Amino acid sequence: MTFHEMNPTVKFVTVTCLMFGLAFMFNPWTPLAVFIGTLVLQSLFANVSWKRWGLFMIPFLLTAIGTLWTTLVFGKASSGEVVFVLFGNNVTEENVMLAVTLALRVLAFTALSLLFTLTTDPKRFVYSLMQQGKLSPKIAYSVFVGFRFFPILKHEMMQLYETHALRGVRLETRLDHVRHVPKLLIPLLAGSIRQAERIAFSMEARAFTGDKRTTYEVVPVTRSDMLLASLLLLLFGVSVWIGIR
Amino acid sequence: MLKSWKLKEIVLLSILSVVFAVVYLAFVHVGNLWAGLIGPIAYEWIFGIWFIVSIIAAYIIRKPGAAFLSEVLAATIEMMIGNAIGPRIILVGIIQGLGAEAAFAVTGYKRYDLWVLMLAGFGAAVTSFAYTYVMGGLAALSPTYVATMFALRATSGMLIAGLGGKILSDLLLRTGALEGYALARQGRAHG
Repeated sequence: MTFHEMNPTVKFVTVTCLMFGLAFMFNPWTPLAVFIGTLVLQSLFANVSWKRWGLFMIPFLLTAIGTLWTTLVFGKASSGEVVFVLFGNNVTEENVMLAVTLALRVLAFTALSLLFTLTTDPKRFVYSLMQQGKLSPKIAYSVFVGFRFFPILKHEMMQLYETHALRGVRLETRLDHVRHVPKLLIPLLAGSIRQAERIAFSMEARAFTGDKRTTYEVVPVTRSDMLLASLLLLLFGVSVWIGIR
Repeated sequence: MLKSWKLKEIVLLSILSVVFAVVYLAFVHVGNLWAGLIGPIAYEWIFGIWFIVSIIAAYIIRKPGAAFLSEVLAATIEMMIGNAIGPRIILVGIIQGLGAEAAFAVTGYKRYDLWVLMLAGFGAAVTSFAYTYVMGGLAALSPTYVATMFALRATSGMLIAGLGGKILSDLLLRTGALEGYALARQGRAHG
């Protein structure tokens, strides 16, 4: 029983429910408990490289810090004892609690998101959305096309760089490349649109109609999915309880 | 809803979504760098960028659902190519897409003038701001600050997504790649 094997749609719905629930909690303990609990569940039921996890976490740590001090400086005026003054704003105890809550919420959201992202195979997710979520095959397969298109896009972009360099655009340093990106957008889009037309033709030529289809890869819902979902919901319940206590 | 769609229109939708998913991701990083320094308001003035695929797709394809689906697909592909915002981003895509779609629905999917496109950018700003308000706990901030955030996001939605989306699509039209899509056909009909 691991989060890797868990049905992606069930996982998606559960994780989203938890995040929505968190949005209505205004004490610092609930998001903190969810954050720690998610890490515990992740270490018990998933095999995730913590180094990767840490790298993904860095930008959100920055966001959390930004949230913390924005809420302190631009916090809503509230009655109560002023703890300290920050850039001319009277910071009360209530303001501090809220700021810490919101910063911890960012971290809890990220931990939950990473639990999903780092344990979910995108292809299986789309299959599962089609099988359990009743997603139209027309859309599901165009998501696959889009996903597969990514390397083509990269290739086209390299080609455009080379063409532009041939025509005498100076592209020596990395910075030159970055600065040139806006000029690539239109030719890149125009090329992609033409590609899209060809892809659609070849899908139709292979008798893709977009009607309901049978699939080779079946993504089932099992008892262990329900168990893992219950564990996550239990974690939320306990965290809410810790918060109000 | 998809009955009236041709396959090539759906594939175009998803290709547009991929291109803009990459652009969106790049700007998430730009926003993140700022956000550590000046807080969540860092995202507001560039927020329109994240609505632009809705406007472009609806303006080119001109069918019900284009604005909504393109935004959701872009969000899904963003998640697939690796984004730590993870599943939440799909939710964000759904909410932004609905806001933009509303503007086209109100005009009966018949008008695609600049003001309608700007209204769509505004609509996406409204729904996405409601989401930020709840999820980001903006109730904790002073009302003036929240109002500033919203004003920035709405302006950005109208200018970057609405006006910018139209300019970009019209430039694309000139390349001739859009022959066979509603934008090129309607352009000819009007002379």
